[in-house]
Amino acid sequence: MKIHNLEKEEVFHALLTSHTGLAIEEARTRLREYGYNEIKEVRRKPLFLRFFFQFTHFLAILLWIAAAMSFLSELLHPGEGMLTLGIAIIAVIFINAVFTFIQEYRAEKALAALKKLLPFSVRALRNGKEEEISARDIVPGDIMLLTEGDKIPADARLVETHELKVNHAPLTGESEPLLRDHAAFHGESIESPNIAFAGTTVVSGSGKAVVFATGMSTEFGRIAHLTSAVESGLSPLQKEIVKATRLVAAIAAAVGIFFFSIGFLIGRNFWDNFIFAIGITVALIPEGLLPTMTLSLAMGSQRMAKRKALIKNLPSVETLGAVTVICTDKTGTLTQNEMAVAKVWVNDELIDAGDIQKDDAHMLLRTAYLCNNARLIDGHYKGDPTEVALFQFARDKAGDFLSERVQEIPFDAERKKMTTLNTFKGKTAAFSKGAAEIILLSCDHVLVREEKMPLTEDIGNKIRAASHAMMDKGLRVLAFCYRDIERNEAGKLNAGHIENNMVFAGLIGMEDPPRPEVAEAIRKCGEAGIKIIMMTGDAERTAVAIARETGLVKGNPLVIEGSEMDFLRDEDLRKSLSAKEVIFARVSPKHKMRVVSILKEEGEIVAVTGDGVNDAPALKKADIGIAMGVSGTDVAKEASDMILLDDNFATIVNAIEEGRTVYENIKKFITYIFASNIPEAVPYLAYILFSIPLPLTVIQILAVDLGTDMLPSLALGAEKPTPGIMKQPPRKLQERLLNIPLITKAYLFLGPIEAAACMFGFFWVLHGGGWIWGTTLPQTDTLYLQATTACLTAIVITQIGNVFACRSSIESVFSIGFFSNKLIFAGILAELFLQIFIVYHPLGNRLFGTAPLSVTVWLLLLPFSVVLLAAEEARKVLLHKFKPSW
Amino acid sequence: MYKNILAAVNEYSNSEIAARYAIALAQSSRAKLSLVFVAEEKKDKDLFARAHAALERLFIQAQKQDIEVESVTESGDPLKKIADIIRRDSIDIVFAATRREYREKRYFVRTLSREFMVKLPCSVALVRIVRLSKGYPKNILVPLRGQLTSLDERSCFVAKLAEAFNASVTLFHLHKPITSFFHGETLLKSSEREEHVPKDIEQFTDCLHKYKISYEKKSGYGVVSRAITIEAAHKRNDLIVMGASERSILTSIIRGNPVEEVLRETPCNLIILRPGRLHS
Repeated sequence: MKIHNLEKEEVFHALLTSHTGLAIEEARTRLREYGYNEIKEVRRKPLFLRFFFQFTHFLAILLWIAAAMSFLSELLHPGEGMLTLGIAIIAVIFINAVFTFIQEYRAEKALAALKKLLPFSVRALRNGKEEEISARDIVPGDIMLLTEGDKIPADARLVETHELKVNHAPLTGESEPLLRDHAAFHGESIESPNIAFAGTTVVSGSGKAVVFATGMSTEFGRIAHLTSAVESGLSPLQKEIVKATRLVAAIAAAVGIFFFSIGFLIGRNFWDNFIFAIGITVALIPEGLLPTMTLSLAMGSQRMAKRKALIKNLPSVETLGAVTVICTDKTGTLTQNEMAVAKVWVNDELIDAGDIQKDDAHMLLRTAYLCNNARLIDGHYKGDPTEVALFQFARDKAGDFLSERVQEIPFDAERKKMTTLNTFKGKTAAFSKGAAEIILLSCDHVLVREEKMPLTEDIGNKIRAASHAMMDKGLRVLAFCYRDIERNEAGKLNAGHIENNMVFAGLIGMEDPPRPEVAEAIRKCGEAGIKIIMMTGDAERTAVAIARETGLVKGNPLVIEGSEMDFLRDEDLRKSLSAKEVIFARVSPKHKMRVVSILKEEGEIVAVTGDGVNDAPALKKADIGIAMGVSGTDVAKEASDMILLDDNFATIVNAIEEGRTVYENIKKFITYIFASNIPEAVPYLAYILFSIPLPLTVIQILAVDLGTDMLPSLALGAEKPTPGIMKQPPRKLQERLLNIPLITKAYLFLGPIEAAACMFGFFWVLHGGGWIWGTTLPQTDTLYLQATTACLTAIVITQIGNVFACRSSIESVFSIGFFSNKLIFAGILAELFLQIFIVYHPLGNRLFGTAPLSVTVWLLLLPFSVVLLAAEEARKVLLHKFKPSW
Repeated sequence: MYKNILAAVNEYSNSEIAARYAIALAQSSRAKLSLVFVAEEKKDKDLFARAHAALERLFIQAQKQDIEVESVTESGDPLKKIADIIRRDSIDIVFAATRREYREKRYFVRTLSREFMVKLPCSVALVRIVRLSKGYPKNILVPLRGQLTSLDERSCFVAKLAEAFNASVTLFHLHKPITSFFHGETLLKSSEREEHVPKDIEQFTDCLHKYKISYEKKSGYGVVSRAITIEAAHKRNDLIVMGASERSILTSIIRGNPVEEVLRETPCNLIILRPGRLHS
């Protein structure tokens, strides 16, 4: 037996309390046992530890070792510049740690939003006396006194009710207040009318309730627990970054150790070998990659914001591009959430709403008007969209119906209908509305042209057929009935008595038209290989009709209703979700998390929409939680990764397009950055193998990686989407960011051209200065400084050609528009200014160990940049020629 | 399997709720139940009275359920007295309640529940009550790992408890993701995970079959304690039954202790079972 199954006295026994409440001492004891009634965050790793871990991964450890060895060298050989190098390496570790942390850090505000829904104090019985106590001090066994306007602080079993109505919106999303009752209930606890849940509000009436759960043990706490405990884990991009950095670090370490050993074998001294080992490590590690990636994601999020998708955490920008399944609400997301009456079934006829006359449907319009809680206030209709549509329709057609409401039996999910009792001109009548199947059970007559006729099976079938016909057109259908109340019935006005022998007045079908841009967005998703699963509270037929109208389904979809889903085992649900077209009808937010969990277990990248408080766990669980900016609660917004500023499904698809573009652009600038690693590494290989002066210093490498390369990389991150980007399936998660074609192109094709340029520049300057092969040069020699400067300048110049080469991996830069990305030119300009500073300014010379060059050197290096671009263009031509399907 | 069951009761309501689990187990095992209150020396009269009232209520409840029951009140050191009763009456299992989440205290300061766990010469079921209303579980979550010790007792305990409450059981097994240096974590799909379910768990299910207990097998992944509490919260389980930690204090400090973490964060009532064989 559960608490809602028990009778009043059994409740007291089960909760070890009595009708006078707990004694103060007992309440204190229970506070020690069960803790404060408060929402607590699930313990996580402290922030400082999470930041600390950014300094302990494989790449960071490698760099720490390099820095430590640099400092050791400075100690043993002072004045060789190793101190600067050590500091620079530590700076790189910090820069990478900060940028990774920025990507991973996410402020947890959802729980703060949840806490706001709980009250500060509550009236309770202690020692038989009524007391106002802090909601935080409420314990299991306490008896709360509830009246209109009270927020309920804990889950409690009602033991006394007087017309008590509670708004469950935070828990169920249902905005209509529910009538509560203290009688024992045999069903699910969440649906039990004798339970008052924490976070809900008393709308009217009063009652007494015994607390049985507090804090994180409440239903509200369950949502908080799932919201704060569920971690969606690393995004696909973050996982790729981890893999890529490990790969690069391993390559750098392996190359370093290999050539260090060779240097040792051919008899070079330890000092030379050591400089080489550090140089090759620094050269092969793309120090600027993480900052560039973070800034690129930030720019992507800015572009998305312009398209009404507000991104809350940076990695989500790219995750959107990998989405394979979207679980979407219907009302307000696929549709406009502007309900309007479209069809009416009355007098045995199905009529367009516009053709209805007052005299044709007087009782139907009266029922729709009076059995309704919508109101006209200051010229604006207020209330639930469905009720507003009915109220407005009735008012437009027949004007106001003056009467006094004497009683209301509110709508609830169990009864699926609502009834009011109204008096006018001294007479009393009952008016009901609800689902057609339910209303028909209450009726024994039907009104046809002002005449009451027996409701035969034949007419009943006609009504059902009309209802189904309307639902098949995507309409939400409600049935209406009424009956006069005789004076001798005054003492029996309860639901069981009133809602019998009623007269069926008609059906009204309301439409919530799809948003105009949704059909196109759904078509795009189809082409992009993204599956869409509709999850709606509406009935099956309405859901399917809207799905057909928007193009969401084309065949016969598998429709699963919420009640059915409750009995489905995970395995069966898993199979159902693999169907091509799936719709979930009559589901509530609690079902979302289950669907999202199973989809994720199957390796899908899932985006899910939500607006209510109890959508928060699913929003957190999904790879991309999408909250509604207009209709969403604060809790949903805080739990989400992205907020739709217009609640529009089409905006999700736009954001996915941006996400895919971001990933494509990341690959472009990775190619760009990695290509420059080769001209940074080759000088060290030449240095160790051919015993020449070191052509490029470590500080100069850092000048490229963290200086001149940065802005052109960012400009590549701002490339526009390629036309076919939404015609490709979502990228496979097995597909690596650093794949073989990318590494081959960067390391074996573009990189060697740049390396040739930098070695040419280095030797040309040395040769021009009279250097003879085999001789050594002091590190302060102007000729040596000029030669390394030429090497550095060669990298910068060839990177200009490279940035154009990397703008598209398939299309010619001239076909996508040479000038179409203005930021590229701004980036190149900044790159050149920085290089001019490094080459010609005394401060630049001092910091980077450079010396001014003649213009001739620049002019001699320029053709290498042109050659690089021409070679890449030639590759693309060949690619198109031999792989036309690309 | 259990012939003599002892429930330690005191003035706290959670000990009374915990004892209800002992009553249920005694009923389904047809075992004798000893309800024991050991008054520490400095307890005041009020606390004494409350503990006695609890004993009385539990005694009546057990009698109503046709259980052979005795009520024992002693004074002195609870650990010593209960250990004496265990030896004297050949008690098979002791039920005791544990309070909230003072992890540090549990480790570094002597707590009675930890002393029970470590020193009592029989099986111990440590019960944490977070919801008074969930004393009658309908669905029990049983997290399992591979290489289970005392498989017979564990499975029998779960089966008898489920039988007593006519509850269903969810066996929850956590998989370690397959990891490699260059490819990172590879998460297995549910069908692939099935292939990696340890054989011990199959033996566990055989036992549930024997007692005709309906069960569902589920597998998950992630941080152990987090995955268990999320599963329990998500599926609205009424009770979690898990084995006691076999990690030493030092290992727990370094690698964490999933049992302690579940104890702290559990969204429903929790029983931590330390089988008797482990102790011996």
